[in-house]
Amino acid sequence: MDFGLTDDQATIRAAVADLAAKFDDQYWMECDRDKRFPSEFYDVLASGGWLGITTPEEYGGHGFGITEASILIEEVAKSGGGMNAASAIHLTIFGMHPVIKHGSDELKRRTLPGVVDGSTHVCFGVTEPGAGLDTTKITTFAEREGDHYRVNGRKVWISKAMESNKILLLTRTEKADEVAKKTDGMTLFLTDLDRDRIDVRPIPKMGRNAVSSNELFIDDLMIPVEDRVGEEGKGFTYILDGMNPERMLVAAEALGLGRVSLDRATRYGNERHVFGRPIGMNQGLQFPLADSLARLDAAELVLRKATWLYDKGEPSGREANTAKYLCADAGFEAADRALQTHGGMGYSEEYNVARYFREARLLKIAPLSQEMVLNYLGSHVLGLPRSY
Amino acid sequence: MRWELSPEQADFRTVLADWLGDVCPRDTLRGWLDAGDHATFAHRLHTDGWFGVGAPEDLGGEGGGLVELALAAEQFGRHAAPSSSWLASMVALPAVAAVPDAAKALFGDGAVVALATPAGTIPGGDATVRAAGAGLSGSVPTVLAADVAARFVVPVRGEKGLELHLVDAGRPGVRVQPRALTDRSRSVADIELDGVPSTLIQADAAEVLARCAHRGAVLVAADALGAMVAMLDATVEYVGQRKQFGVPIGSFQAVKHAAAEMLVKVESSRSIAYLAAAVVDAGRDDAAVYAATAKAQICAAGPVAADSALTLHGAIGYTWEHDLQFFYKRALLDAELLGSPGAWNDVLADRLPLVPGPEMSSKGGAAARAIGCDPS
Repeated sequence: MDFGLTDDQATIRAAVADLAAKFDDQYWMECDRDKRFPSEFYDVLASGGWLGITTPEEYGGHGFGITEASILIEEVAKSGGGMNAASAIHLTIFGMHPVIKHGSDELKRRTLPGVVDGSTHVCFGVTEPGAGLDTTKITTFAEREGDHYRVNGRKVWISKAMESNKILLLTRTEKADEVAKKTDGMTLFLTDLDRDRIDVRPIPKMGRNAVSSNELFIDDLMIPVEDRVGEEGKGFTYILDGMNPERMLVAAEALGLGRVSLDRATRYGNERHVFGRPIGMNQGLQFPLADSLARLDAAELVLRKATWLYDKGEPSGREANTAKYLCADAGFEAADRALQTHGGMGYSEEYNVARYFREARLLKIAPLSQEMVLNYLGSHVLGLPRSY
Repeated sequence: MRWELSPEQADFRTVLADWLGDVCPRDTLRGWLDAGDHATFAHRLHTDGWFGVGAPEDLGGEGGGLVELALAAEQFGRHAAPSSSWLASMVALPAVAAVPDAAKALFGDGAVVALATPAGTIPGGDATVRAAGAGLSGSVPTVLAADVAARFVVPVRGEKGLELHLVDAGRPGVRVQPRALTDRSRSVADIELDGVPSTLIQADAAEVLARCAHRGAVLVAADALGAMVAMLDATVEYVGQRKQFGVPIGSFQAVKHAAAEMLVKVESSRSIAYLAAAVVDAGRDDAAVYAATAKAQICAAGPVAADSALTLHGAIGYTWEHDLQFFYKRALLDAELLGSPGAWNDVLADRLPLVPGPEMSSKGGAAARAIGCDPS
């Protein structure tokens, strides 16, 4: 067993940390406060070629695996950019996976280079108000009309839709009650986010305000057949392929947030004096931080195992879900404790831990709730009856 | 709102605590538990006149009610006294009250009455004994104090529904098989009945069982409170004496905080327990809510406090020589005795407008109805 990073991985980690350090807490605080997309940050990563870290070299990327992608996104979150930084690039660095794996050569040649160079912003359109995590219940429908599909429906919680010019859109091409298996009859597209046909409305929310979360109202959107990813009716399986890597990336983001929270808490615990000594000398403050360190370290190990398995092409559902569960939990707990360590100052925006706290909370909900992870582990790994 | 013990109740508590200090000191207790002797304590409790406190005078008791019984239960828990026979009798009292001879024998001769329901469940679940021909047949596992009981109150599935019968433990056809508990300060035994003659108790069986369940919940909760008090006292004393790194370990903040958490559990448990005792004693319609809250909250806190006490004692608390084991085991048994926190939380959940769980609905509903918690 080798717990070390490869030379490439160590280089990626150092280089990304270096780049991300150019954007300080003040920058992220302002982006968050003003609900402004962090374009400067995005452009720096794009011009450095980092957005294509997992894209195959023939389409302008570097062809690295999910391990390298997770290291990248962890560093980005850990820099203090948190989820604002991670979400700005999250989909770009691994979300194109269904396209890379199942899309036509023509579609890939047409779209991937733009994704890699950063000129194309993509959002992921799966979830719907009436379906939630029960993805097969989506009703957004794509009706074939000659060489186009006519699409109508609604999507919700679509991150970055405001800033995106393309959407990876999951639809039904057959209704749920007309297919043999409820996972059949779903079709995936990578197409232009046509503002004349898609009304994008941002949802006011608790945190991660530099990147929008949106409701989409799709009204007679016409998608050319060549924008279809793979075969008609197989969209669900394509999406499913990307679920585990997505959980790993989210775990890495939670881990990074936990690390930066713990770092700020430690610094404050050493600097802040009350009752004539640093507050970090209180066991009531020191032990929770030490506990968080242990939990983050443990969660990180599961994440590394998950990405290692995936990159070797082995099953990784158990580890991906466990990593998401433990990293989200440890990351949020670290942020909560960082806030507590800062006392009243933690509640002010000035010390940034309040921003980490808001963002870390999100990862216990998205992209799926902790409870759904337990459902997966309970039924798919332990073999208990499906409970929902 | 102001609620406090009457001067008589406060005196009762003080005098009983002093008496327990004399009769049931730790080394004496250890001797009884090593010898499996619960009878000496029960005998003293009776002959020294404590047994009838908290029971109505017209039944042969000394007067008072459930608040007095809760005060006694707390003190018994605090001393880990072998009090199963007292507890079982006080739980069964609503049934015994309908049979004057049994009540007279209970308070006059100390003839213990035990409610024949499994000790790990809320009294009032499905009856497993049937009336067949002339006698009762069936078995009930792990009945509290069954090994020392003179009579059993047995829930029976009769032709017209649930009934309560009084059975003399000395009758042929009654088999009592004691079982060993990890908590050696209490006892249970399995009962088997094979065509045993019985006396039908003329009372509404479901209503009586509900009252038994509520009393049991309050008294076991008070017992757990007493055990927590004993563990807190022992812990505070120990961490003040034990030195590490040149200072008493009680000077460490993490240790102080853990002890303070135990104190919070003790104080909140006391507030819940005595309010519940007063409400159940008054026979209010919402007695089930208070009884369930007391049992679920206090008996869930008990094992947590016990665990803190053990942690703060370090390895010495893990030894057989140390007295902590008595209270640790007491708190763990109290959690399960007469229904776990989970079972009593189900009772509370049944009062809320929730959708019943898929497999729990019929069983949980039956249990809730049996103890007077039917939300409909």
